[in-house]
Amino acid sequence: MERAIKQINIGEEIPSLTKTAYMPIDPNTRNVIHTDDYAQDFGMRGALIGGSTLLSYILEMLYNYFGENWLYHGKIKVSFIGGGAINGDVVTAHGQVSAVEPEEDGNRLILDVWMDNQDGGKIAIGEASCIQTTS
Amino acid sequence: MGSQENYEAIPIGMDLGTFEMTLDEETVKNRIELVHWQAKGLAEKGFAPPGITISHHARMKFAALPEMRVSIWAKSEQEFLKPMKLGSKIFIRGRIVDKYVKRGRNYMVTDLETVDEAGEVLLRSRETAIYVE
Repeated sequence: MERAIKQINIGEEIPSLTKTAYMPIDPNTRNVIHTDDYAQDFGMRGALIGGSTLLSYILEMLYNYFGENWLYHGKIKVSFIGGGAINGDVVTAHGQVSAVEPEEDGNRLILDVWMDNQDGGKIAIGEASCIQTTS
Repeated sequence: MGSQENYEAIPIGMDLGTFEMTLDEETVKNRIELVHWQAKGLAEKGFAPPGITISHHARMKFAALPEMRVSIWAKSEQEFLKPMKLGSKIFIRGRIVDKYVKRGRNYMVTDLETVDEAGEVLLRSRETAIYVE
């Protein structure tokens, strides 16, 4: 179940993950923030990409680093800020180690996580953690 | 009833019901394509990508709150406890646990639990969203 990963120090970043954000626009969606007209009326640049899609990008970065451990021990808390993302934005998920805390099953690595866009603006910030094993 | 009255009338503790879905091959494939999931190794072990069910949380709110037009995620907390298995049936249970007004916007906090057929908790979620009619 657990994957041994290289020792990482506080302050180091795990490998980031970049995606071109995309979500199909459904004109019949119940949540009209995902349509251009309503989103622009609401002050956004266009139909907002769903938070669950942006979260998936961050989760993929964390799964890439923690492997299967993430599925059993992963925790994440993020706030969506800065106007979100629209189709075509190039977004990058980041994680930087902020602390290591011992737990019964091993050391829990705590990371500051964030997502920024092609302009360097942050669109999500928060914290994630997972138990890790080291090689 | 007006928009603010509708919001104020939503009871804290309101049950959002239970959403049931099967993580069949097509469902998982569609989600993988939607989010361009490229990480390897999950399918070979019979697991779905983490977070595959989270987009259904908002759908549960829309189903329970017919006046709601918009739900914009403000905060998301997720705790992954067990992998979701390909081909398995999962159940998401949710309820509204808090509401508050901040800078003139109405917020709603929901707790959700995703369980498998044996009742084992796979995912615990607390989500805060802006509520708009």
